[in-house]
Amino acid sequence: MMKQLFPKQHVMGFVFSMVLSIVALAVLAFDMSYKMGMAILLVTAIAQALVQLLLFMHIGESEDKNTLYTNIIYALFVGVVTILGTLFTMIWGYMY
Amino acid sequence: MKIDESLPLEYSTEENRLKILGFWIFLGAEIALFSTLFAVYFTLHNGHGDGPSAEELFKITPVMIETVLLLTSSFTIGLGIHAMRLGLKKAMMTFFVITLVLGLGFLGTEIYEFVEYIHEGATIQTSAFTSSLMTLLGTHGAHVTFGFFWGVAILIQVAKRGLTPETANKSFIFSLYWHFLDVVWIFIFSFVYLKGMM
Repeated sequence: MMKQLFPKQHVMGFVFSMVLSIVALAVLAFDMSYKMGMAILLVTAIAQALVQLLLFMHIGESEDKNTLYTNIIYALFVGVVTILGTLFTMIWGYMY
Repeated sequence: MKIDESLPLEYSTEENRLKILGFWIFLGAEIALFSTLFAVYFTLHNGHGDGPSAEELFKITPVMIETVLLLTSSFTIGLGIHAMRLGLKKAMMTFFVITLVLGLGFLGTEIYEFVEYIHEGATIQTSAFTSSLMTLLGTHGAHVTFGFFWGVAILIQVAKRGLTPETANKSFIFSLYWHFLDVVWIFIFSFVYLKGMM
């Protein structure tokens, strides 16, 4: 019964996401450059998002999966352009 | 209503499948919404004026508690959907209740954190930093609050009607919403709190 209710994949996904959160804490625990810190945070955050999306949200399980992938990738594109575009016009543009 | 028995209940009709697709499109719009709030925060987070800076304001303990609570709730709702697919109504409801309790714990910690901020003289009007921070955190917190009541409504329906193609579909869509909020929190945790304390 316990094995049925706690599938290995889900438990592994949960453990993995906890480990990623702890790895992200390394940016506080160790003295490192800003670039190094941001690189660690980017990798751990994106990995966590992928665990949720692929494992827990089952994005790839239905016949609509190509539509879903396209939709989410497009949304992420809009999001990244919004954030980087804002930083470009409001901050980075003034640094030169 | 044609029911395809080979699929999980929540996908079993054409309407159900389209509702799930529609919800994913909504989540795409939510990604755009939160991106604008992150963009505002990243632009303004150094503008703290006379108020406290991110480094002075943020404490790691409540943030870690919130992260663990929300990550665990995302796991338990995943188990809830898994139990639902096995047709185990009782187990599914138990996991959903645990999820909502963890969600309440998250909200309680966040409210405590906000009260602390206000005591330290950081209100939403203090500086560009606190305005953009509290708008971002508040929008996420409001989503979790809404999700709590949504989850309660779904639990009542499952208790009354059992696991039907309709209630299973609603529960699955709710789980998508909850996981999405967890993803947004991961980005707040990483790029607001940890980056702010780095």
